[in-house]
Amino acid sequence: MPRKEHVRGGISIFGVLVIWEILARLLLENELLIPPPSSVVRSFWNLTVSGQLNKHFAATLIEFAYGFSTACVIGVVIGYFMGMHKRFDEIMEPWIATLYSIPIITVVPLIIIWFGIGMVSKVIVVFKITTVAIILNTAAGVKNLDPVWLELAKSLRLSGWETTYKIRFPGALPYIITGMRLGVGRALLGVIVAELMASNAGLGYLLRDSSETWDSPKLFVTVFMLAAMGLVSFNLIKRFERRMAPWRQSAEWSGE
Amino acid sequence: MSERTDKTISNLLKLGSIIAGLVLWHVLAVYVVNDPTFLVSPLVVVHTAYDMLFVTGELYPHLFASGWIFFYGFALAILAGVPLGFLMALSPAVRDYVNPWMTTLYSTPRIAFAPILLLWFGIGGGAKVAIVFLGCLFPILINSFYGMRVVNRDYVELARSFRLKPWALFVKILLPAAMPFVLAGIRLSIGRGLTSVAIAEWFGATEGLGYLVFFAGQTLNIPTLFVGVAAFAVLGILGFEIIRRVEAFVTPWRKGSQGG
Repeated sequence: MPRKEHVRGGISIFGVLVIWEILARLLLENELLIPPPSSVVRSFWNLTVSGQLNKHFAATLIEFAYGFSTACVIGVVIGYFMGMHKRFDEIMEPWIATLYSIPIITVVPLIIIWFGIGMVSKVIVVFKITTVAIILNTAAGVKNLDPVWLELAKSLRLSGWETTYKIRFPGALPYIITGMRLGVGRALLGVIVAELMASNAGLGYLLRDSSETWDSPKLFVTVFMLAAMGLVSFNLIKRFERRMAPWRQSAEWSGE
Repeated sequence: MSERTDKTISNLLKLGSIIAGLVLWHVLAVYVVNDPTFLVSPLVVVHTAYDMLFVTGELYPHLFASGWIFFYGFALAILAGVPLGFLMALSPAVRDYVNPWMTTLYSTPRIAFAPILLLWFGIGGGAKVAIVFLGCLFPILINSFYGMRVVNRDYVELARSFRLKPWALFVKILLPAAMPFVLAGIRLSIGRGLTSVAIAEWFGATEGLGYLVFFAGQTLNIPTLFVGVAAFAVLGILGFEIIRRVEAFVTPWRKGSQGG
């Protein structure tokens, strides 16, 4: 017996799709404004068979993966040192805060001027967004470590490296993952914006292409792909969070 | 080391970091890059900002255009998001029916909706307000929902034992208890709203800060580009601070609450 909330959720989604189909077919009859779900599905099938969707999806995914993974490594290292050394933290802080308060989208044109319209500029956009979130959270995690644990490390005579590896890092992990979670959503937005502005591949390009050629079914397919990508990445990181740091439900740096 | 000297050193380090960064930027721009279509010195940026603010005043029309779009979208998001969030918290049925759509729309990169909204509302103000609305809605909605749900059961029990009417229960107990979360949601949505303004103005606008930034980018007018980016940052920080003040004023019993 499925749970009540799932039944209702299913009804809600299915119901809206049916109403949409009926409205689009009978009342509006305007593919441009609101294509019925059936033509969206057909367009999805065509795009998949021709390999177009695959190509653009892969492009976005690769840009995202490169930027995100580099940001994780560099962000954690910088954040760790900021959390450990108060002076270093004070030196970095004004610049990190500045970077944090600038809406990403507005720097995208600048990044495109500097790094070209190819893949590099998108990787940089993802990198910038994710690193800032991870740095801030890692630093907060290292700073907020329970001093009792450090005393424990001392009384067990752990070496400096062991303290870092066995105490500080696991202690900061929930914060680091929160940083990643915050980074994912914004980075996804950033990469799409960058592709939309100047590129020749990726879902953002597809979005622009379909809206400029007034191909509404294709536009809706792209939007659904983006929604799916957002949902999947969000749920993956949530599951990852629960698995890696089950002892803390949510740790958040209180900036945004 | 006394606390006072420590504080002084800390401030000096921050100041030094800013100055060193600016000097480095200047040297890089003037002596290494030496290409005004690629990078300009911070001095040039400040000069341009001064011109645009006090000499030609060309920043103001853009500021107002963006300001209105932001204001309408933001206000509509509050008007729609708070009641809907409360309703979802108070009625499980509403929650279950709305939830799948909310999760989907929330985790989709916002820019995806821009072309569709543009198709529906045209390139005038309507589509822009709708884009900002959609950008601001979810943090407010989710936090209102969450705030109303986690109201302390003891308060509700207390109200029951005083035989408060449902309306009084809502106004006197539930609403104040949920308020910090609602305000936190509103605070979060400021940054998202500003980003949405930029997105909206990227799709066919003739004025506004977003337009300024993108037009400057396309014409390689780096000083103006920097000024536009800085204006966005300043507005974001300003809005954030204002809401923080409002929070301190409206909910003085609570310090720094965070939700969703």
